[in-house]
Amino acid sequence: MKALRFWMLAPSRALMGGLFLAPLSIIAAYSFLTRGTYGGQSTPWTAENYVRLLADPLYTLILARSFWIAGLSTMFCLLLGFPLALFIAQSGRRKNLFIHLVMLPFWTSFLVRTYAWMFLLRDTGLVNTLLQWAGVTGEPLPLLYNEAAVVLGLIYGYLPFMVLPIFSTLDRLDKGLLEAASDLGATPWTSLWLVTVPLAMPGIVGGCVLVFIPCLGAYLTPDLLGGGKSMMIGNLVQNQFTSARDWPFGSAISLALMALVMMALWTLQRRQKEDLL
Amino acid sequence: MKRRELLVAMASLAGCAPQRRPRLNVFNWSNYVGTDTIPGFEKESGIEVRYSIYESNEEMLAKVFGGNSGWDVVFPACNIVGPMRESGLIAPLQHRWLDQLGNLEERFQHPPWDRNLDWCVPYMWGATGILYNKKLQPAPEAWADLWDERLRGRMTMLDDPTDSIGAGLMKLGLPLNSVEPDHLDQAKLALLRQKRLVRAYLNAEARDQMVSGDLLASQMWATTAQQAMEASGELAFAYPSEGFPVYADCGVILRESQRKQSAHRFLNYLSRGDVACAAASECKAATANAKARLLLPEALRNNEVLYPPETVLKRGEWVEALAAAGQRKRDRIWTEIKSG
Repeated sequence: MKALRFWMLAPSRALMGGLFLAPLSIIAAYSFLTRGTYGGQSTPWTAENYVRLLADPLYTLILARSFWIAGLSTMFCLLLGFPLALFIAQSGRRKNLFIHLVMLPFWTSFLVRTYAWMFLLRDTGLVNTLLQWAGVTGEPLPLLYNEAAVVLGLIYGYLPFMVLPIFSTLDRLDKGLLEAASDLGATPWTSLWLVTVPLAMPGIVGGCVLVFIPCLGAYLTPDLLGGGKSMMIGNLVQNQFTSARDWPFGSAISLALMALVMMALWTLQRRQKEDLL
Repeated sequence: MKRRELLVAMASLAGCAPQRRPRLNVFNWSNYVGTDTIPGFEKESGIEVRYSIYESNEEMLAKVFGGNSGWDVVFPACNIVGPMRESGLIAPLQHRWLDQLGNLEERFQHPPWDRNLDWCVPYMWGATGILYNKKLQPAPEAWADLWDERLRGRMTMLDDPTDSIGAGLMKLGLPLNSVEPDHLDQAKLALLRQKRLVRAYLNAEARDQMVSGDLLASQMWATTAQQAMEASGELAFAYPSEGFPVYADCGVILRESQRKQSAHRFLNYLSRGDVACAAASECKAATANAKARLLLPEALRNNEVLYPPETVLKRGEWVEALAAAGQRKRDRIWTEIKSG
């Protein structure tokens, strides 16, 4: 039995070790090296990359902005996603159809869908054309290339990651509890706040984590919809590996970001455990 | 049956190397050869070419930096040739195998980054200037005109530190390749002031928005500008009066290459007048080959966007390789501008 277990797990162990742990260790090693004269990496070993990241307020600012944009996007995803998940959970036989519709955008690539937003939002795009035709505005509105466009793109891209986990908790919710609340005189609002939301909490937390983390590392959306004017941490990392050719610094930034996210998740998990106790 | 097919396929894959025709692996920029360039070479040399493309110097460098990439010939920009040579990535050229170098334009036979063409063969070149809509009057003539309040929200700069910081430096009358901290700080302040007018930092994506009329002016590469001008008669291109960056992409042979003679043969083939002409006319890029230029159709040969006249060209400055400290300062400035 034990041998069987070992061999069944061996492929995934090899996969995790070879494709996750090994590259991660290489990045960790690079982050303590120095940029070569023309890129690449060379000795001496140093912690200078981390010092540079922490000491320069410019990088702290970029990090703070990334947290702000990711937080804002997560909040909007929650505000839009929770009612949607609730609606789907209560829509009986058409539930599966709606869930498939939520997942439909995944059938095309994220890059293509982001380009589609560019075509919608640009000056001669659909939205501006319609607004001008309806006489709402004379001049085209600057919809593209600002932080709002970035947040919009992130909400659009990650909303399904919020809907699915919330839906799965709401779908298993015991209807009897809601009936009991109503029998005991709770209005629908009260039972939503006191029964549904607390029971859906694992899904809400899971959804927020699933949306927040990829938003934090986003680089495509700020580049394409933000026009490269509001750099996020993902763009900073990308630049180090491309135009700046400073792989050690890029490695240090990505590891620092990873550590921050893991710390945040760990705190969250501990608080959840405490709440359960 | 399927398994047997797979085994046969694997066996033939493993066995193919020694028996098959000689090969050559060429890694080049996208849209940089004509449709017949590679088949033509394969036909006359009997060498089989594996041809693949890249979109930026960084992408190519990342692949060849390790030293066992498998590529034989790559095409770095002129400011990358020096660093690649110093990093021991490229092999010296054997001029006895290159009898077509005399076809190159005079200034490409002795370029500043490789005085005797010991390491590279210049292939195509280009410059950066201002693409603008003719509605914009008076027309922009200088980098300084990209600081004009009229352009607020209707103008883009390139998403490229060399070009954008370069424009800031040249606007102030400073050298394009400066690494003086004081010069770079002045350029940074100028670019931060300009940012509130800039709609976005875009590369080729700006082309479509210029064509559609969303934008009035863009800092743009001449080759891309030429494509936009063919799509819309409303557009024109200016070589700024303060000076402008000039690039050249050059063929080099990697040190790791096991097929150096074939690689020379390929570079020599590309330097032939007829071959370079066909590539340049199909890609609408500026060839470094004087003989090829003479063979180009009239309209393309005298195109002043791709081939600015001598009086304009003398304002151009070659983009140079920068020392690590200067590069780092520039990256810090670029990060600050983009996140400001």
